[in-house]
Amino acid sequence: MTITPIGPISPVTGPSAITAASGASSATGGTDFAGALAKGLDNVQQLQNKSDDLAVQAATGSLTDVHDYMIASTEASLATQLTVAVTNKAVAAFNDIMRMQA
Amino acid sequence: MPTFDSIGIAATGATTYRKWLDAVSDNISNMNDAVSTSSAAFQQRFVIAQPAADGNGVQVGGIVLGDPNGRVVYEPNNPLADKDGNVRYPDIDLSDQMGQLIMAQRGYQANLSVVDRARDAYQAALQLGRNA
Repeated sequence: MTITPIGPISPVTGPSAITAASGASSATGGTDFAGALAKGLDNVQQLQNKSDDLAVQAATGSLTDVHDYMIASTEASLATQLTVAVTNKAVAAFNDIMRMQA
Repeated sequence: MPTFDSIGIAATGATTYRKWLDAVSDNISNMNDAVSTSSAAFQQRFVIAQPAADGNGVQVGGIVLGDPNGRVVYEPNNPLADKDGNVRYPDIDLSDQMGQLIMAQRGYQANLSVVDRARDAYQAALQLGRNA
């Protein structure tokens, strides 16, 4: 009766595998979260500027379309709410990960 | 506006109907402009609505003017009357304009309703997973 020898233990794959995965995803052209958030903030800023301009026009009496201002302010409000929701979700995810101990 | 498409599209509709309302009010206000038969009468304004150039919504392509001949009315006491006693009035029918006024007003309101509903829908979407 022969005992088959146990094969050598394969080396533990380190965290390099994870970094390789994230590197691969950025190499495929997917936007990272920071970039998406910055783009979203730019969009919000544009909508707020448009709403502000129309508010000045409404106050000075040079506004031709009343609904334009109301719609611009609605869009700005919605975009702000969207950004806040995304930010809150990101912070919640960060906190969840930070709580992962023991 | 890529994020809130339906709101922007409804805004183009509201703007178009606003211009139609302007055209109707222009027609009604000039309905009784009498001129001498040697000159052209006020021409009725027709708004040309067409799909927007960028494919999102509607736009006003231009204003088409109605008949400059209008209708010739016998008013010998009018100081503008010619030797036969005729003056020229715009060819605008008030009942037709009132009908257009109602259609333009309802169209405007319908577009604003779309804005309202779209906002409600987006806000409902923002509530997704709020308590998850």
